[in-house]
Amino acid sequence: MNRALRLIGRRAISSIPVLLIVVIGTFFLLELASGDAVDAYLVSIGGGDAALIEHLRQSYGLDQSALTRLWIYVSSLARLDLGWSVAFNRPIAGLILERLPNTLYLMGSATALAFVFGTALGILAGARPGSLGDRLLSIGSLALYAVPSFWLGLVLSVVFAVQLRWLPTSGIETIASGKQGLERALDIIRHLVLPVSALAMIYLALFLRLMRAGMAEIWRLDFVRAARAKGLTRARIVLRHVARNALLPVITMLGLQAASMLGGSVVIESVFAIPGFGRLAQEAVSARDAPLLMGIIVVSAVLVIVVNMLIDLVYAVLDPRVGASEAAS
Amino acid sequence: MTSLSRRSLLQGVGVLLASTALPAFSFAQALPTGGRLVVAADSEPRNLNPAIVASNGVFFVASKVIEPLAEADFEAEGGLVPRLAIAWEGSDDGLSATFKLRQGVTWHDGQPFTAADVAFSALEVWKPLQNLGRIVFANLESVDTPDDYTAVFNFSKPTPFQLLRNALPVVTSVLPRHLYEGTNIAENPANTQLVGTGPFRFAEYKPGEYYRLARNETYWGEGLPHLDEIIYRVLPDRAAAAGALEAEEIQLAAFSAVPLADLARIAQVPGIEVISRGYEGLTYQLVVEINHRRQELSNLEVRRAIAHAIDKQYVVDTIFLGYATAATGIVPHNAPEFYNPEVPQYEFDIAKANALLDAAGYPRGDNGIRFSLKLLPAPYFNETRQFGDYLRQALAEIGIDAQLVNNDSAAHQKAVYTDHDFDLAVAPPVFRGDPAISTTILIRSGTPAGVSFSNQGGYESAELDSLIDRAAETVDTEERTQLYNELQVRAGEQLPLINVAEWGFITVARDTVLNVGNNPRWAVSNWADTAVQQ
Amino acid sequence: MSALARFRRSPEGVIGLALLTVLALAALLAPLLFPGDPLRIAGPPLLTPFTDPALPLGTDRLGRNVLAGLVHGARASLIVGLAAALVAVAIGSLVGTLAGFAGGLVDEALMRVVDAFQIVPGFLLALAFVSVLQPTLPVVVTAIALGAWTGPARLARAEVLSIRERDYVAAARIIGMHPLEIALREILPNALPPVLALSAVIVAGAILTEAALSFLGLGDPNIVTWGSMIAEGRAVLRSAPYLSIVPGIALVLTVIGTYLLGEGLAAMLSRRERQA
Repeated sequence: MNRALRLIGRRAISSIPVLLIVVIGTFFLLELASGDAVDAYLVSIGGGDAALIEHLRQSYGLDQSALTRLWIYVSSLARLDLGWSVAFNRPIAGLILERLPNTLYLMGSATALAFVFGTALGILAGARPGSLGDRLLSIGSLALYAVPSFWLGLVLSVVFAVQLRWLPTSGIETIASGKQGLERALDIIRHLVLPVSALAMIYLALFLRLMRAGMAEIWRLDFVRAARAKGLTRARIVLRHVARNALLPVITMLGLQAASMLGGSVVIESVFAIPGFGRLAQEAVSARDAPLLMGIIVVSAVLVIVVNMLIDLVYAVLDPRVGASEAAS
Repeated sequence: MTSLSRRSLLQGVGVLLASTALPAFSFAQALPTGGRLVVAADSEPRNLNPAIVASNGVFFVASKVIEPLAEADFEAEGGLVPRLAIAWEGSDDGLSATFKLRQGVTWHDGQPFTAADVAFSALEVWKPLQNLGRIVFANLESVDTPDDYTAVFNFSKPTPFQLLRNALPVVTSVLPRHLYEGTNIAENPANTQLVGTGPFRFAEYKPGEYYRLARNETYWGEGLPHLDEIIYRVLPDRAAAAGALEAEEIQLAAFSAVPLADLARIAQVPGIEVISRGYEGLTYQLVVEINHRRQELSNLEVRRAIAHAIDKQYVVDTIFLGYATAATGIVPHNAPEFYNPEVPQYEFDIAKANALLDAAGYPRGDNGIRFSLKLLPAPYFNETRQFGDYLRQALAEIGIDAQLVNNDSAAHQKAVYTDHDFDLAVAPPVFRGDPAISTTILIRSGTPAGVSFSNQGGYESAELDSLIDRAAETVDTEERTQLYNELQVRAGEQLPLINVAEWGFITVARDTVLNVGNNPRWAVSNWADTAVQQ
Repeated sequence: MSALARFRRSPEGVIGLALLTVLALAALLAPLLFPGDPLRIAGPPLLTPFTDPALPLGTDRLGRNVLAGLVHGARASLIVGLAAALVAVAIGSLVGTLAGFAGGLVDEALMRVVDAFQIVPGFLLALAFVSVLQPTLPVVVTAIALGAWTGPARLARAEVLSIRERDYVAAARIIGMHPLEIALREILPNALPPVLALSAVIVAGAILTEAALSFLGLGDPNIVTWGSMIAEGRAVLRSAPYLSIVPGIALVLTVIGTYLLGEGLAAMLSRRERQA
């Protein structure tokens, strides 16, 4: 465990230059942008004259050079200050804290569902590689993977929310309902069913296929043959030996997918009007709010790093050799 | 084509009279009180102060909280009904205007409303800070307040009262002086936590989710408002409003939040009504902006050829699905006070367009192309983008190869209005009741680069400029109107830009919502008489 | 057993190849089948499929031929997918090979850049990139590639590290080949096969990402892609569902085809590895 902690410490330090690269890259990407925060604002107010525009540029600090602004941003970031959003006229940290939980609910439950059902179905498919069941599951999951998530979301919403009226069409909770505690939690869960399903379907396919592929590899290994020779039942071999060993790479994948899941939630949040992180990013881009977008990207990067650290920890617990060998290297 | 559009206009007026005469009187006593109205909102303006940002996106929410001096009306004399002002009059020389103000009005925080609030708003906010007030009140010098309920506006140069009157609903949202005086007005917290005199108080804003307005118990209007609460539910996805309406999660979607293409279907859903009235004072114009710096486009014959290549009827029927009128000139039909039908028309005629281009010295090359253009449709509406798609095809028919550039709002703003990096652009300017605050800025030369929704195409005509300048200072209503009539004819001849269509938006509501669309600016009016059947 | 024979014994690969062949044919023949601009207005708007033999799949909101759009869309979607994968694999293998071969500080620095790209949500990056630079085909392709090149980079680096010490590379070093020459002539070709198998996944992902960008209004308006067709059809999802279902099915089949082909290739290559 100690080794694992040391590993995490090292990871944290080595991620600082990575974050710096991310910040500088994002900053210059937005510098390339056609139109700045003032242009975006002018559209929303229906235009203004030259003096107003001049005044706005000054008050947003956009009259300073790009490098000055970058320096101001990075140095305030070093003090853990994410800065001020020009689009929302509020501190960025507050905005992000407000939106992050919604996205975490969405992603967390989608990942959990996809992981549980994906690996379970993967085990089912991988138990008899090449069987009809395997092929059907494999193709079926692929079809799910291939359906664009926004389209799936729209269709789910039309069928289950508009026509059957089983679930709400959009939003994160019933607006201005005054619900508290358990009642509110249930309300949020009801709102999350459709977006989580749309998001989970895709990753379910991914985990299923990974699990199945991993199992296919392991079936060929000697110890499985030995287990078979010993006359163990197939179910026991599948669960105890094959699936268990195939699970580790799937867990690694979980970490690698964290970033892509955050990205995938952008579209789903837009379809289901969930005030989350992805939509905030979209708003930041369209308002040309560079500090906000950088804040979002930095926080999501940190999030991804943390998820990967957690997975390292899980790994270290499941398989002590991993932590040891990496820490020793 | 002219006759056809006039006919459809007349039909429109007929519907309008039939629909508005009824609810205003017969149901006045029977209207239910109480209840919550949930409406769709597709954007969250970052500055919600209508005195600073006079735009429909802001008014949609803010007009229920902060009131103007007067509001547009279908029947009232002069098209206006009193709000915070009860009477208004301009001097003959155009150098002053007097407003009698309503007594016994209190702000939502309990302070009394007086002429000092109006004077402060006019001098400190409308004139220096507001996007439109800067034009209307450009020559405002001082505001005298002989008593608490009289405000006299004094101008340094003649300011036509016709313009003031037409602009009243849009530019005169009154702010509470006691909260703004001595502060940085642009950054005042009351710009998002609004305080006004309107029928609803600003109760709550959850970014990304909703705005909540609550009934103002001390509203000056007797027995008003009917509703207890209005909730604006933020639905950024265009397809979401229709579903939410059908699922009865919201009761009303204004500003065509339900896409036009979905209207025919949703009109069949029991309990849902499609309402096209209530936008007569908010006419949007579909316009092709032209960059006259481009040598081919500076040629009048080329511009005329392009006008001939556009099938306005197709645009109205297919893109707007009939919820629009083909434009005849720079002023829309919905402004009868100014509209001049006798302007040059460019009927849809491909052969003629081709002939004009041949004669202008732009023959087709071997690939059938005369020249290439960069076409930038404004991204704000589905219809502007679709028209961009159509225009590209229409231009291909006459041998002009248009490359579409798909920008987001900020980039479009910069490319067209600052960098002039376009040849043709599609714009949806709003007609705000008077040419001086809507139309002329699209034609007058000399606007510095960076000013959005203005003439940034480099068009310069001493003749048109002088007409515009004269009208701006002509106090006599008839004479002023005459000048604008002439401007319409000249613009029709010269084509500084090409007007294609005019449209109002569509409201889709549950049939339990009463008094929808009962004034020409309904979506951005105060909704004091709107009610919900429980 | 030859590689081809191995490939043929994998049903996934064969199905995938068949699907993609049909698609490639459609893409190649598009200008012949439907000459001219597929965005041209060809008939009355919202014509239901199978009612007019000249417009077998009907027309869209503006009266454009859906079948022409579908066939030309195959072209655009394939170009987006292949180009994005090509760019991603090219950048990725280059960076990965360089890092793996150079080692030390260069490796460290390059891998930090790879890390940086990997922890930023790819779609977020693509979204920002495309809205900031105009949505034209090359920009969309680059945006997608930016989010996809880290996979090939890591893979290439790992391959290089594992091959570096092998005999033929050592031999090349002994006979005095320049390190860069060794990288290009000996290591890259050997590291390439698994990278290629990965690229099938990238192609599938790229086609989906393009669709999602189009859905958010960030597609190139001058060409028709399936993504843009679905996005257009969305407004009439209820009254004219065929407008989004038809390109949707094409999209799903293509993604499945690409994925299966990738699996076939992977199976073929992995067996070869085992034998080696």
